[in-house]
Amino acid sequence: MSETPLARIRNIGITAHIDAGKTTTTERILYYTGVSYKIGEVHEGNTTTDYMEQERERGITITSAAVTCEWKGNRINIIDTPGHIDFNIEVNRSLRVLDGAVFIIEGVAGVQPQSETNWRLADRYNVPRVIFINKLDRTGADFFRAFATLKDKLDIVALPLQLPIGIEDKFEGVVDLIEMKAIIWEGGELGAKYHDAPIPADLLEQAKEYRQNLLDTALSVDDAAMEEYFEHGDVGIETLKRCIKAGTITGVFRPVLCGTAFKNKGVQPLLDAVVDYLPSPVDVPGIKIAAEEGEDETAERRRIKADPAAPFAGLAFKIINDKYGTLTFVRVYSGTLRSGDSVLNTTKSHRERIGRMFQMHADKRAEIKEVSAGDIAAFVGLKDTGTGDTLAANEDPVVLERMAFPVPVIDISVEPRNKESIEKMSLGLQKLASEDPSLRLRTDQETGQTILSGMGELHLEIIIDRLKREYNVEANIGAPQVAYRETISRPHTEIYTHKKQSGGSGQYAEVKIVFEPLDRNSGVVFENKVVGGSVPKEYIPAVEKGIRVQAESGVLAGFPTVDFKYTLVDGKYHDVDSSALAFEIAAKACFRDGMKKAAPIILEPVMDVEITTPQDHVGDVVGDINRRRGMIQNQESSGSTVIVRAHVPLKEMFGYISDLRSMTKGRASFTMQFHHYDPVPRNIAEEIMAKSA
Amino acid sequence: MQEPRLHWMRGQAIEEAGAARALEWIGLDDAGEPIARVVRILGPVSAGWRHYRAVALDTEARVVQLRPPPPEGAFWLACVGGRVVGRAALPLQAVRRVEAALGD
Ligand SMILES: Nc1nc2c(ncn2[C@@H]2O[C@H](COP(=O)(O)OP(=O)(O)O)[C@@H](O)[C@H]2O)c(=O)[nH]1
Ligand SMILES: [Mg+2]
Repeated sequence: MSETPLARIRNIGITAHIDAGKTTTTERILYYTGVSYKIGEVHEGNTTTDYMEQERERGITITSAAVTCEWKGNRINIIDTPGHIDFNIEVNRSLRVLDGAVFIIEGVAGVQPQSETNWRLADRYNVPRVIFINKLDRTGADFFRAFATLKDKLDIVALPLQLPIGIEDKFEGVVDLIEMKAIIWEGGELGAKYHDAPIPADLLEQAKEYRQNLLDTALSVDDAAMEEYFEHGDVGIETLKRCIKAGTITGVFRPVLCGTAFKNKGVQPLLDAVVDYLPSPVDVPGIKIAAEEGEDETAERRRIKADPAAPFAGLAFKIINDKYGTLTFVRVYSGTLRSGDSVLNTTKSHRERIGRMFQMHADKRAEIKEVSAGDIAAFVGLKDTGTGDTLAANEDPVVLERMAFPVPVIDISVEPRNKESIEKMSLGLQKLASEDPSLRLRTDQETGQTILSGMGELHLEIIIDRLKREYNVEANIGAPQVAYRETISRPHTEIYTHKKQSGGSGQYAEVKIVFEPLDRNSGVVFENKVVGGSVPKEYIPAVEKGIRVQAESGVLAGFPTVDFKYTLVDGKYHDVDSSALAFEIAAKACFRDGMKKAAPIILEPVMDVEITTPQDHVGDVVGDINRRRGMIQNQESSGSTVIVRAHVPLKEMFGYISDLRSMTKGRASFTMQFHHYDPVPRNIAEEIMAKSA
Repeated sequence: MQEPRLHWMRGQAIEEAGAARALEWIGLDDAGEPIARVVRILGPVSAGWRHYRAVALDTEARVVQLRPPPPEGAFWLACVGGRVVGRAALPLQAVRRVEAALGD
């Protein structure tokens, strides 16, 4: 089964609003494709793509695990795509490595705000999609109403390939508009059995109307198909499928299927649609190589074509630490790799040897000996390869387009509750941070507390949960806080002498350091300008380190200090009493004294907020944003809804969701992401400083 | 669709994403005379300092301005003789407009 030709591979994601049925649908897919023999229900907490325990409890999928299954001679790799906005990073990275997606909405509410967000994210990566309207068995389900929300909310050409037969508890199957037949599911055996039947007489007129719409829409992408139609008054099934695939890939229309995953109806034709209409790795343009420093990100660059015979290139998109060790999930874009081969990590410029390779199935991990272009595999035992790194062959050491990682804007403090937990916690946090590039760790120099920074409250909550469960850490958790930064606003030169006489040998070091502000996003830059050995070479790294460590805790309120340069220009030492430690201590003190005189300021994260509200509440929404120190960027209406975009300090967005709901009677929704850092106004700076004192 | 009254064939084309796409379908009667056509609406386009919201090619491939501009969502014109008999989002729909107009 390792010999699947490229055109028979599909790398897909399944995306949905929370609770629309992604897990259930995935579970059914794994059942029907024959690798999962017992259907686990979500509420029983027993599903395959949900790797982690607490996920089962919450009923949301937080880990993008890749699961491989087979359908009618095709290999489908399902890359699990989480649905919650806090996990945008996960959605982003899975969208990067998949070639197509199944987009699930539910048959009662249709498109919901979160589905809109996920849809736009997929738009950003031009992911071809088929839509599945799920839960048609539920009371209140209405295929046509849910279908209408696709057009209204997503502004797309949604193209039904099926119509429901019956609805709610009478839902029994679908009309297949391509072959103009009915598909009816039989009870028992979890819907594995179904048969074709003639279209019920009462649906025939409607079916004809929708088939005409299907032909009108699908054939418009292909002139030869139009000619075939003019000649015969219809087209062959193969022609029609070819047109649907072409339009799906370009996105001019989006095919719509329907069913009920829970009641086991409609999933097999969905699998057929994945194979028939979503692209294989050779149907997509190939991944771009990364932009060189200073090059325009969006410019056209060399693309890596899916070719098993070309030099190897792959992207590590997910790292999971479990009881077997570290698993690195890699999407192979080009070439063929065998276990035992060695490749370059071109992102970090070192060599990696490939040990064992696996493909993850629902019920087992299958060891494989080689993996080729277009496929996905999990590697065991890579030394130092992180999420987003490229692995490539020596002959063509390309770096593939990087993934963007969002800035962590929320902090939370964790403190081990007992001695035993201290070590377990630091080990656990390091592992978790290696899996998740959007999680940052630091130690507050004043309090000694460990601070986690993440993308949102839920993100951090889940990390804490995993820390407790997987690493058995008992910890006290602080309240979530805005991740402020500190910086300076004018240059200053500081001299500090560290002198201590204690019994035998003393400590002596003097440093003269120039501190200068840099532009936003410049980080921390060090330069050594010492001449004549006034600070011996071997002590320079100690000075650099002292400041880097101390900069983690700014002088105003203990937040990391960023966007500044420090230059060591002079110093003094003593032959006997100087040491690396003495210089590190001197550097730290020099920072503490010097920063205070360099006009320090506090920076706050400002979010790009997008609010979707009905027309009649725009006034309230905008007024409220202004009161939150927000700056309206623009306002766009589509139909009766208005999209308001604004920049708002994160501090003012705590609790926004409930305020927005009560302001608009629950009819508005919003999304936000980090945009930039801005200095906080004076009164707020004072508030922050008072709190930290 | 019921049996088409006309014989439809590809007319003028445009290059799009590296492939030729029909901009026009011509409807011939049984004698092989072109009596109708459907043509894609293009635009907005700028010519010099002038800006046109919607244009289409006439039978001699001249760009003509459509006035008033077609409603949103209409991408094809249905024409019989020199007369516009309908507008549609999709070419096959425009073809049906033509056939319907001929049936009257
Ligand atoms: N009635 C009905 N319930 C469904 C269907 N699909 C999923 N569910 C239920 O909806 C809830 C959420 O489903 P789940 O698959 O976890 O959704 P996810 O959050 O998108 O992964 C669970 O209680 C499922 O049993 C369906 O087709 N019909
Ligand atoms: Mg789930």
